Amino acid sequence: MTQLADYRHTMESCNHCGQCKWLLGPKTRGWRFAEICPIHAQFHFDAYSGQGLINIARELLEGRLQYEPGLINLIYSCTTCGACDVNCKSVRDMEVLETILAMRAKCVEDGQGPLPAHREMAERIEKNHNIYGHDHAKRQDWLTDEIKVSAESPVAYFVGCSASYMHTDIARNTARILNACGVDFTVLGGAEYCCGNPLWQTGQREAAARQVEHNLAVMRERGIKTVITSCAECFGALRNIYPRYSEPDFEVRHIAEVARDALREGYLNFQRPVDLKVTYHDPCHLGRCSEPYVPWQGEIRAFGLHVPPKQWRRGTNGVYDAPREVLRAIPGLELREMTRNEENAYCCGAGGGVRSAFPEQARETALDRIEEAASTGAAAVVSACPFCRSNLEDALTAEAQSMKYFDLTELITRAI
Amino acid sequence: MQSLIERFTDLLEDGKVSASPLGLNVYKQGLRHDGGGRPLLAVFPETKAEVQAIVRLANEKRMPLVPVSSGPPRFHGGTACKTDSVIVDFSRMNRILRIDPDNRSVMLEPGATFGAVIPALKAQGLRISTPLLPRANKSVVACHLEREPGTIPKYHYDHLDPLLTLEVVYGTGDDFRTGSASGPGSLETLKADKVNPWGPGSLDYYRFVSAAQGSMGLVTWAVLKTEVLPVIKRPYFIPVTDPGRLTAPMNELLRRRIVDECLALNRHTLAAILAGDDAREFARLQAALPPWTILLAISGYQRRPEERVRVQEKHLFDVGDRLGIAIEPDLPGLRARGAELLESLENPWPETPHWKLRSGDSHDIFFLCPMSKVASLILLMQELARDAGVNGEIGGYIQPVTQGRGCHCEFHFSGADPALARLSAEAPEALMNHGAFFSRPYGAWADLVYRDYAEGVAALRELKRIFDPNNILNPGKLCFE
Amino acid sequence: MSLPKHIYEELEAVVGARYISDRPYILAALRQPLPNIATPPQSPEAVLLPGSTAEVQAIVRICNKYKIKYIAVISSLIVFAYPSEPGTIILQLKRMNRIEEINAEDRYAVIEPGVRHGQLRTELMHLGLSYPVASVGPGGSVLSNFACASGDNHNEYGSSRTNRYICGVEWVLPSGELLRVGSLATDSGWFCADGPGPSLRGLIKGFTGQWGGMGVITRIAIGLDHWRGPAEMPTEGRSPSYKIRLPRDCHRIHIFKFPDLGKLERAMVEVGKAEIGFSVMKFFNASAALLATESANDFWDLWNSGLFQRELARPLYVYLATQSPEEMAYEEAVLMDIIGETGGEPVDASVQRIYEDNMDFYILVGFLQRVLRLGGAWAPAKLSGDSIHHMFEVARAIPEFMTEFIDKGMILNAPDNFMITPGEYGHFAHIELLFLWDRGHPDWANIGMNFMRRSQETDIGHGYHSSSPPRTGAMLQRLGPLYSNCHVWAERIKQAFDPNNVSNPMP
Repeated sequence: MTQLADYRHTMESCNHCGQCKWLLGPKTRGWRFAEICPIHAQFHFDAYSGQGLINIARELLEGRLQYEPGLINLIYSCTTCGACDVNCKSVRDMEVLETILAMRAKCVEDGQGPLPAHREMAERIEKNHNIYGHDHAKRQDWLTDEIKVSAESPVAYFVGCSASYMHTDIARNTARILNACGVDFTVLGGAEYCCGNPLWQTGQREAAARQVEHNLAVMRERGIKTVITSCAECFGALRNIYPRYSEPDFEVRHIAEVARDALREGYLNFQRPVDLKVTYHDPCHLGRCSEPYVPWQGEIRAFGLHVPPKQWRRGTNGVYDAPREVLRAIPGLELREMTRNEENAYCCGAGGGVRSAFPEQARETALDRIEEAASTGAAAVVSACPFCRSNLEDALTAEAQSMKYFDLTELITRAI
Repeated sequence: MQSLIERFTDLLEDGKVSASPLGLNVYKQGLRHDGGGRPLLAVFPETKAEVQAIVRLANEKRMPLVPVSSGPPRFHGGTACKTDSVIVDFSRMNRILRIDPDNRSVMLEPGATFGAVIPALKAQGLRISTPLLPRANKSVVACHLEREPGTIPKYHYDHLDPLLTLEVVYGTGDDFRTGSASGPGSLETLKADKVNPWGPGSLDYYRFVSAAQGSMGLVTWAVLKTEVLPVIKRPYFIPVTDPGRLTAPMNELLRRRIVDECLALNRHTLAAILAGDDAREFARLQAALPPWTILLAISGYQRRPEERVRVQEKHLFDVGDRLGIAIEPDLPGLRARGAELLESLENPWPETPHWKLRSGDSHDIFFLCPMSKVASLILLMQELARDAGVNGEIGGYIQPVTQGRGCHCEFHFSGADPALARLSAEAPEALMNHGAFFSRPYGAWADLVYRDYAEGVAALRELKRIFDPNNILNPGKLCFE
Repeated sequence: MSLPKHIYEELEAVVGARYISDRPYILAALRQPLPNIATPPQSPEAVLLPGSTAEVQAIVRICNKYKIKYIAVISSLIVFAYPSEPGTIILQLKRMNRIEEINAEDRYAVIEPGVRHGQLRTELMHLGLSYPVASVGPGGSVLSNFACASGDNHNEYGSSRTNRYICGVEWVLPSGELLRVGSLATDSGWFCADGPGPSLRGLIKGFTGQWGGMGVITRIAIGLDHWRGPAEMPTEGRSPSYKIRLPRDCHRIHIFKFPDLGKLERAMVEVGKAEIGFSVMKFFNASAALLATESANDFWDLWNSGLFQRELARPLYVYLATQSPEEMAYEEAVLMDIIGETGGEPVDASVQRIYEDNMDFYILVGFLQRVLRLGGAWAPAKLSGDSIHHMFEVARAIPEFMTEFIDKGMILNAPDNFMITPGEYGHFAHIELLFLWDRGHPDWANIGMNFMRRSQETDIGHGYHSSSPPRTGAMLQRLGPLYSNCHVWAERIKQAFDPNNVSNPMP
């Protein structure tokens, strides 16, 4: 597992260019919606940005900065959305997000992190295997009789904590879509634990490891060759975190990709119109952060030469097209794009443990995103992540906004 | 007094000092704004060293120096002096030091006049930015030091264009070179072509001596931009009745860089230029011309000139069609005079009296404004003239500057009618209150622009204290004591 | 040292507790050594985020009262943004980020310091307007480029350096007084920055800006040009492999290679005299290779192939942006005449295609920071201007000092990595020599300074004007006597306007 010291090249290379705070030039469309880092947009100090966080990481590593509560709060104010990382990597060979995550892990190792809300979450996961602390025995209660599930299929629907307990409609709709597509799939039921992503993002690597290793063992035991998720967080974890523990012997797919392929191949047809103008919000862990992790160990030689060559994760190959293709295929539905989209999408504000530790901050970011969604003229924002859903829906409700939120699976189900 | 003349004579060679009352009277001629007096004497330096020696002596004697570069008449009063002054007349520092066709620049001493410089450049296939028909004895360097705009706005990126670098003797007697003329090393060893105007370092020194009326330093040479002389020039005209419709075509054509010359003249000014001193012809022309005429030129340069002209003509007529305006190849109602007018713009005014002086002494009112304010300020000026009791029309022209991002508006009137003097005295304040910017505040305009500008005055005086600590350079001008 | 409590509280009362901090973890983001500097900067004592000109004035007055030094910054990309001595506070002006006015008729925009190139340029594209975007990337401050820093750019051939485009300035003098210059002096609007009388605008910028050494510029107006491209950037693809193509009927790229610098110089002069083209330059070749690749390893593959050394050692980049296909035909015909006369040849089609596929190179230069991707140290040498002819003279002398550094393996082997950009259709030109060295080199801390010194000595020896002295400090004292004693006047002006020497003093 990489340590903070592994990112010294990144920490020493930053030349304060500001790319981590601003939308890439080719994607900028005007004055508004040009910032890319949700904490910098809110707090303005350079310390609240990818650049600032790697500067802090360097001073911590070199023992030039002492822990204090404000520092821990700052480190955990980051949503780990990866926007800084992708923007920086458009021009540099630096690992900004990995450095931030390694710094969080160091905080935990040093007994300074995470924040109480994150520790409590870890305790709940340890005890009940889900982030909410709900009864593990009820993990599969979302499943209804109408849904056809196979016991032995090598294709597993990894439901995730949120769809299992909080947004069970997502789980049911996903299963219905799979049924409509003719996908023979299984669910892991009580064998499924939290994917571990919330622990990983908050630097609790040992706790995350326990979840990951359990889930990997279950999948191996059940002969799973394809894992389908409806949750961006789980998707991101399976593609980006799990390979750090063991070379994956299964393919990870999001329900959007499954539906897209079924549409292309004629297994899925949309019959019913959905008359709606929508805009699609790319979840960070389905989009830019979802590229499969490729381990690299080597030497950085003079003038940045990586030996052996490193395969970079620059956000290019996230899942961007599939949800859009599906939405465009729905009769009556009009898709409008926000300025900050795809690899440049603005975070909903929930990630990285921010929603649990700093709900006000998370809400303010969500409102910024909603304003951008509204600026497209859309009546609804659609996404594919239950955590984005919670954050955006809560902000919409609190502000009594007329804009609606839909999970992608709901619109697909309506159109079938 | 005698000792002062002797001291100057000791410094300079014979014939470079004049105390002849007759000779000194010439410096009073044509004064308008602040009616100066006759100076004590005039000195005629021929080298920078002589200028430095003059300045050092003036420091010792606390004797005001007033620089003069152009021949008479001098309209604006920048060189008007108090009776205890010494005129530093640069008319003998009038060399064209270098013409550089590749870099399109010319290095001039301050006494070099449009009458001398224009033909010299033409012989090398070049032209220089020229204000509307300057008198032949006008100093090119002084003209552009004072930020007078030329008639081709597309070459005007900055209000200091076409000025590039210069050498100046400050009020301390120290010499200084600006921009890439600054160094490294001496002028003799420096290889630079002296065409980078900025700096040296983080200060734009050439801006401090601009529009300073010689109060910040005495310029001993300057390098200025020149442009390629067109092989083909085609004049075009747009007759305009309503001043409100003047700027839209100019704005559009300048924005797209379609035209070279671009200015608008009212019928009084246009008739004065075309008629010379023929009063009957003036009256006939004034009756025949539209209230305003926009003058434009399309040019073809050294390479494929016909093709360039054809392409830009198409663009010109496209703009005309889009704006619904007629663009004529000749002056409306005056066959063949259009080409003659355009030709005349390339040259200094050939005769005396100057076209502004057809009826005697001239009053000028000129200012800058954004293009969007041109129409309202023209109308205001007309209203002010009526209110002052002026009979008939006053002259005026509109000269876009800085590629059309601003406009120089100039009104001129001559004659002995007291109403004109009243207009001259009263109009500037009213114009300023409606957005006119008197960026070159001569004479009484200085009080107007500086009276509510305490922070700027303080900064300017700070600079003046640095460059001219004993206040010997043209004192009393602008906001200086 | 940290600020005494009462001073901190006085400053806090101006901006509010949310916008001031002296916590070490906040200051950590403002005291990191840049990759090309061996010595870490001094830590600031505090950072403030003022929200208005009035707040800036109040802060500056407090600084004068207690002799606290201050540096106003936006992106802190360059070394002058960092304190050189203890007792300095940083004013980050990023909250002052409004585009106050875009006047399409009079063609100017009024902006605050926090407005970024990416924001303003794209707002203006919607209105068919543009301006010379300095090569700092989309996150760079427009105001800083125009009024505080340098301002050379890829489009200055068809426009100019950014300082030419300043139409109005409002700034807080080092004393705290507010000064408005040009037409603002008589409330005549934002269209002219010079006058009344001698132009005070000369105080804020010469060849470069004052880098914060003459108070705080809080608002400027910049002049706008016509934009001949589409209303939005026609971006295809995803980061980092964007494609941005403009319609070929009126937007075309031509790149030619020349057998020697003399012929290239001749072509550049003739193109300028013909007044064709929108952007013309001799661009860096190693930097071009960095811009064209997506990782350091990709760069090394390309560089080791020798393609860019072969094709782009002496290139003439010409971007033609015309109003009509007829004008394109005319400009291309003139261009080909000139290239034929001067012995240029088209570069390999694969190289030209890189630029045809990425016209952002002429719009926002959104990938500029790739030039620094090798992760080591870098610095520009030269950085001044004069005629095209003189800049080529300077270029010809580069091997006199550079070869030794290359032969000894101290810097990247890229002897042609210099740029000559003509401005105002060739009336002047700017030269910049970018050299890169690796932090792993045992002598890395000295290479940059040694290289720049040798470059300077070479040019001084020849009488070449290839650098402009800095605004103050030891370097100015050394060079000033060679540059018309400009150090004397610069120091007098600094002393007169900043008697307490609190506005970003240089060592």
